[in-house]
Amino acid sequence: MAVHLRLANVVKRFGPSVAVDGVSLEIEEGCFFTLLGPSGCGKTTLLRVVAGFHTPDAGDVFLRDRRITQLPPHARGTAMVFQEYALFPHMTVAENVAYGLRMRRVPPAQIRERVARVLELVGLTGQEGKYPHQLSGGQQQRVALARALVVEPEVLLLDEPLSNLDAKLRLRVREELRELQRRLGQTTVYVTHDQEEALALSDRVAVLNHGRILQVGTPEEVYRNPTSRFVAEFVGLANFVPGEVVSPGRVRAGRVELRVDGLRATPGGRVVLAVRPEEVRVCQDPPDTKPNVLRGRVRSATFLGPVRRLTVDAEGFSWVVDVRADEAVAPEAEVTLEVPAERLRVVEEEPEDTKTGGGGT
Amino acid sequence: MVLSGRARQQLLDPGIVLAFAVGAGTLVLFVLYPTLRVLAYPSLADYLAIPQSVRWVQAARNSLLTTALSTTTAVAVGLAFAFATTRPDVPGRRFFRAVALLPLFAPPFMVAFSYILLFGRQGLITRHLLGLDVNLFGLPGLWLVQTVAFFPLAMLVIVGVLEGLNPSLEYAARNLGADERSVLRTVTLALARPGIAGAALVVAISVLADFGNAVVIAGGMPLLATEAWFRMEGMADLQGASLVVALLMIPTTALFLAERYWVSRRRYTTVSGRGTRLEPLPTYPPLRWAVFTVCTAVSVLVLLVYLGVVAGAFTAVWGRDWSLTLEHFTLARDRVGSLWASLRVAAGAGGVTALAGVLLAFLTSRALPLRRALDFLAVLPGALPGVFVGVGFVLAFNQPPLELVGTPWVLVLALGFWHLPLGYQAAAAQLQQIDRSIEEAASNLGARGLRVLRDVYLPLLRRAFVEGFTVSFVRAVTNVSIAVFLVSPGNVVATFAILNMIGNGIWGGAAALTVLLLLVTFAVLGLARLGAARALRPTPVG
Repeated sequence: MAVHLRLANVVKRFGPSVAVDGVSLEIEEGCFFTLLGPSGCGKTTLLRVVAGFHTPDAGDVFLRDRRITQLPPHARGTAMVFQEYALFPHMTVAENVAYGLRMRRVPPAQIRERVARVLELVGLTGQEGKYPHQLSGGQQQRVALARALVVEPEVLLLDEPLSNLDAKLRLRVREELRELQRRLGQTTVYVTHDQEEALALSDRVAVLNHGRILQVGTPEEVYRNPTSRFVAEFVGLANFVPGEVVSPGRVRAGRVELRVDGLRATPGGRVVLAVRPEEVRVCQDPPDTKPNVLRGRVRSATFLGPVRRLTVDAEGFSWVVDVRADEAVAPEAEVTLEVPAERLRVVEEEPEDTKTGGGGT
Repeated sequence: MVLSGRARQQLLDPGIVLAFAVGAGTLVLFVLYPTLRVLAYPSLADYLAIPQSVRWVQAARNSLLTTALSTTTAVAVGLAFAFATTRPDVPGRRFFRAVALLPLFAPPFMVAFSYILLFGRQGLITRHLLGLDVNLFGLPGLWLVQTVAFFPLAMLVIVGVLEGLNPSLEYAARNLGADERSVLRTVTLALARPGIAGAALVVAISVLADFGNAVVIAGGMPLLATEAWFRMEGMADLQGASLVVALLMIPTTALFLAERYWVSRRRYTTVSGRGTRLEPLPTYPPLRWAVFTVCTAVSVLVLLVYLGVVAGAFTAVWGRDWSLTLEHFTLARDRVGSLWASLRVAAGAGGVTALAGVLLAFLTSRALPLRRALDFLAVLPGALPGVFVGVGFVLAFNQPPLELVGTPWVLVLALGFWHLPLGYQAAAAQLQQIDRSIEEAASNLGARGLRVLRDVYLPLLRRAFVEGFTVSFVRAVTNVSIAVFLVSPGNVVATFAILNMIGNGIWGGAAALTVLLLLVTFAVLGLARLGAARALRPTPVG
């Protein structure tokens, strides 16, 4: 599919702090693309650069092949849903939604028709005459979405749109949003700090930290194969094991030697290995002969509903391991951990020097 | 009446009952009674005869005309200043804000007086620098003077509204395809509209009731606010005076009620949860420069008000002998007694306002019967013109059992209760910020009734107290509209003395005494700021 939105080496500074530090991205048509990162990582700044609220200090923004870097916000066709919705309090639902069309000088009859259609789409038919303060949080959220969708934007921008909803509602609106986006084939850029939201919604995810993109991929790629310690930690939970490469496929970590599939680092190099808690297996009767088997003692066991989360001290490391909740594992129990060689991967430590700067959101 | 359990419990507390009796009693005596006295003084026939009196019809028409004109321009200027002070990219915004507050501290006649010195027949600027022959008396002069005197009120109201607007609304509008002018028209100004309407009502009340400027500069033009005093002074016509002020009260009360119960409810609080607040968008450049130009021009006019009076105080004979002199201050020194009288009266009034304000705010914040009536009486003085209150106190307290007219107390009480809404609303606003749970904690630990007020609220309300005292003091020390009715030979206040000197053409002396009065006012303001800062420090919550 064709590239719809492209960022080339975008840099944005606020005074001395660098909010966006050389970001390049390609977003395909119809893609639900998420910028994921902690607060202050530059994701919202990046979204505002796309919307035209900030002019980048360097780099360019392209819509299809058109360079829009210097275009004012109202000429871009990038409709945005704001975190706090930014509904016009002095306008009714219908007037809010019609606003963008009115500014585009669409004939009134057509405005009425399109407003009615989009309100139906978001399930707000019958609420046309109400004012924002008469609506619930979820309804306000839909008005904001309808207001952005009705102008048929090139790219829809969403800035943490679910963060003002309560947990139950957030889940429901999330599903609806995803369904709607698929149906319309609407190219969408979504900003969030919530990794679960990012995984559930996106076709592709870019993980940002300190104004830089650390990894781009499908939710599954990012979760299964994080390339850096930061990504592994921010998206999900991970155990990290520092070690030294002994030979291709073998790493010495403390007192044990671990097999790592596909490891091609040169012997003698220092690496950090990562493995997800649910990827580590707990065996009650130890098959001593298998590789990657560690003896340990359970320090704590926490019931979390679907899983039981264990902290296990084994071979000088503290491991977080998830087992099925119906497996009764008591604290102080002696256990054996099996770390599958195909699930261990090498991650990059984030260099210290990028951990300064940032600022803005 | 069915009382809630809470109310019944409070009615059993002797301290609360006593406080309630005192609060309600003073309101009835010093707010309701004088008001009713004025309204009941003329007979029905007098009221019905109003349309036949050419002079009163004329006065009413003039008052409404100047109100319409001055309100329009004052609100327009106030809007410009509000824009300038809320947009970070307008150059000089701090300066504009500081300058715009200056007229609020000047005695109400000062703008008029200074402009006569600068722009009148003998005006330093018009006559002696430009060689023009300008007559400032009458409608044009009054219009200009009231615009400069009252635009700060408009600014303060509109600033409150503009500051409440979430910048993201402007971003949203831009994002949806609106260019800069459309954003201004459809979002910014549209949202400010209730604020502008509120500002217009507040300014209109002040213009209608303005006595100080009118008496100095209106010349022969009859106006409602000054007519009452002419009736009383010239003809000892109490009937006529009360009729005029009653007539004046109708529009001011209507405006007041409209502001309080209609416009202020229509203000848009931007509905939003949390979210990063954006920097405001850059201001539309033509607007930025228009606002800058208007503010610069008006700032010059405001600064000239002060400069004119200071110049007048040091000039030998205005219009003829421009040599510098200190002689007016020796003349003013003879009137230093009046400055002391002003200070005593204003301090008394400030104390009355602050004390009554805190007490009443405490009472209306509880579940007591009649609290809405108390609340109404506590804000009612805001609807009354000063001349109305002046006439009201003359009528109410010039005979036994409460023969206060002739003593300084009548002035203290009249000014203190006239400014009551300022102290009451400041205290009520503070009370709203105090969490109920603090009081519940105190009761839980054994504090009851008034003890809750003393132990919990008073320390937290110290700031409201200082604020109520200061505002009331500043307005009392500069007041003329009430003072002209209630001064007695023993306690002439400075503003009254100045007004007399202006009337008698003793401009140098009037200017010198005004300068001294301003110095006192600013000194007290400075002290109050220190006091307020100290009152803030031990406050543990908001």
